[in-house]
Amino acid sequence: MTSETGIASKGTRFAAWTALVLLTIWAVLPILWSLSASFKTPLTLYSEGFIPENPTLDNYGRVLSSEGFYQYLGNSLYLAITSTVLTLFVSVLAAYGFARYAFAWRHVLLLFILVPRILPRASLIIPLYDVIARLDLLDTYTVLIVTYTATAVPMATWILIGFFQAVPRELEEAAAIDGASIWQRIWGIVVPISLPGMVTAGILSLREAWNEFPFVLAFTTSGDMRTLPFQLFAMRDNMGLTDWPLINAFTITTIIPILFLYLLFERQIVSGLTSGAVK
Amino acid sequence: MNTIQPSFRDRLAQGLTPYLLLFPAIAIVAGVLGYAVVRGILMSFYQIEVWEPGQPFVGLRNYRDLFGSDGFRNSLVISLIFVGATIVIGVLMSLVHALALNQIRFARSLFRAIALIPYLVSGVATAVMWRFLFTGDNAIVTQISGALGYSTVSWLADPTKALMVITMANVWFIAPFSTLILLAGLQTIDPELYAAADIDGASAPQKFVHITVPSIVPMLSLALMWLSFASFNMFDIILPLTGGGPGRSTEVLAVYMYQLAFRDLNYSTGAAVMIVILIINIALSAVFLRAAGRAQHDK
Repeated sequence: MTSETGIASKGTRFAAWTALVLLTIWAVLPILWSLSASFKTPLTLYSEGFIPENPTLDNYGRVLSSEGFYQYLGNSLYLAITSTVLTLFVSVLAAYGFARYAFAWRHVLLLFILVPRILPRASLIIPLYDVIARLDLLDTYTVLIVTYTATAVPMATWILIGFFQAVPRELEEAAAIDGASIWQRIWGIVVPISLPGMVTAGILSLREAWNEFPFVLAFTTSGDMRTLPFQLFAMRDNMGLTDWPLINAFTITTIIPILFLYLLFERQIVSGLTSGAVK
Repeated sequence: MNTIQPSFRDRLAQGLTPYLLLFPAIAIVAGVLGYAVVRGILMSFYQIEVWEPGQPFVGLRNYRDLFGSDGFRNSLVISLIFVGATIVIGVLMSLVHALALNQIRFARSLFRAIALIPYLVSGVATAVMWRFLFTGDNAIVTQISGALGYSTVSWLADPTKALMVITMANVWFIAPFSTLILLAGLQTIDPELYAAADIDGASAPQKFVHITVPSIVPMLSLALMWLSFASFNMFDIILPLTGGGPGRSTEVLAVYMYQLAFRDLNYSTGAAVMIVILIINIALSAVFLRAAGRAQHDK
């Protein structure tokens, strides 16, 4: 019987590796193909294979010197960072409230954090556009920061509640006896101990804002307000010849920053995502 | 928490504290998302013309117009096919992916990290990369299908194939998160269950059916929930990849709604589509929560 199990598990292992290799190729192939094209010229785009014969950084140079690139990059960075800082600030307070207090209406208020997860972003653009246009706030950073924050707060709060509940109350009680206010206990004790949770919530919120598309598409009209994804959308379909090496270099440029952050904190993000989704 | 005799003022402050802490979060979520939903419901009952003042109440007329229009019925069908195909392909691929990741020991965290990469990429970037794979006479997929003796017409110019392309791009984009959910489920299974089954001489398929699947039912329903929500509401990939075309062959509900409001400037009917989308979302989550609850109960 042992030999039988041995054969079976060898077969299982072979099947597992075959599937894994195929699925891993599937996951990275579109990106690698785009990366490969970003090192080619329009002339060699289709004549060369997967590995460019004379790789050139020319396309990246053209991306960086393309009109408005730094404006779009600046917009993307500014929106992502401000909305993430705001999201973390608001979510820390709310998560602390939910994690530490029992109070009337707790469950009803918790719904405000849970229900938005089933509100798709794209579906909100019509009523929001209507009110934003009436308030004459189209083409403002404020509108984008507020809407990005509103959509990021529920997930961030949910992740942080779990981390805050794991912080021992005794630590805070000791500090309270020494005269620490609730404000000092939150930012001086609970938040530093929950740093992995802060990193997870922060990166997810950055990712959300960095990649956001429907809101910036609907709520801005001026070219100056574009973010990188919006500009990528705008350049993907020029009438006439499409400059694919340039577009692919642009695509890769937008992916690199968030990919870098992810690889840096992969373990924390995966466990944070898992616990956030599973609970 | 205060161990010293609390005064009345302290007790009052204590009682108010959680509400004060929650206030900013609730205010911004209710102010933006809650407001949008209420405003959307109201808009769908009025006739809103952008350039004309006055907004007459029209009752259910927007909904009647909507259900009577070919564009809406077309989008409903396209959405159903798109969601259905994504769920079937996505759940199979992510289950196989999660099982494989759970099986191996060597470099598991590396492979897991790579598996989640598509989740990090923006919808627009995903769409552009997939467009590059399929557009034009010289696109790699067109070349390969030509070399294999199939048609060399661009896939995105053919209604059926364009729907297949957005479905595949969508699976690529959203299945990684479901892989992660399923992997989390697989890792909670007690290895002793398998050891015991080995002693009883159970085969691999028997172990899969009698141990693995029942153990991950809650995660499986969570993964299904994610796949159906994410694809039913998918907008970011489809607009840049096909724009809903060719014709209306890839115009799912979210894209239909967007075109109705921002291309045809028909905000009222667009708002009615928004409400239909929200109702379907609520119904979907009710179904899944019920199924998950029942599965939990049966265990």
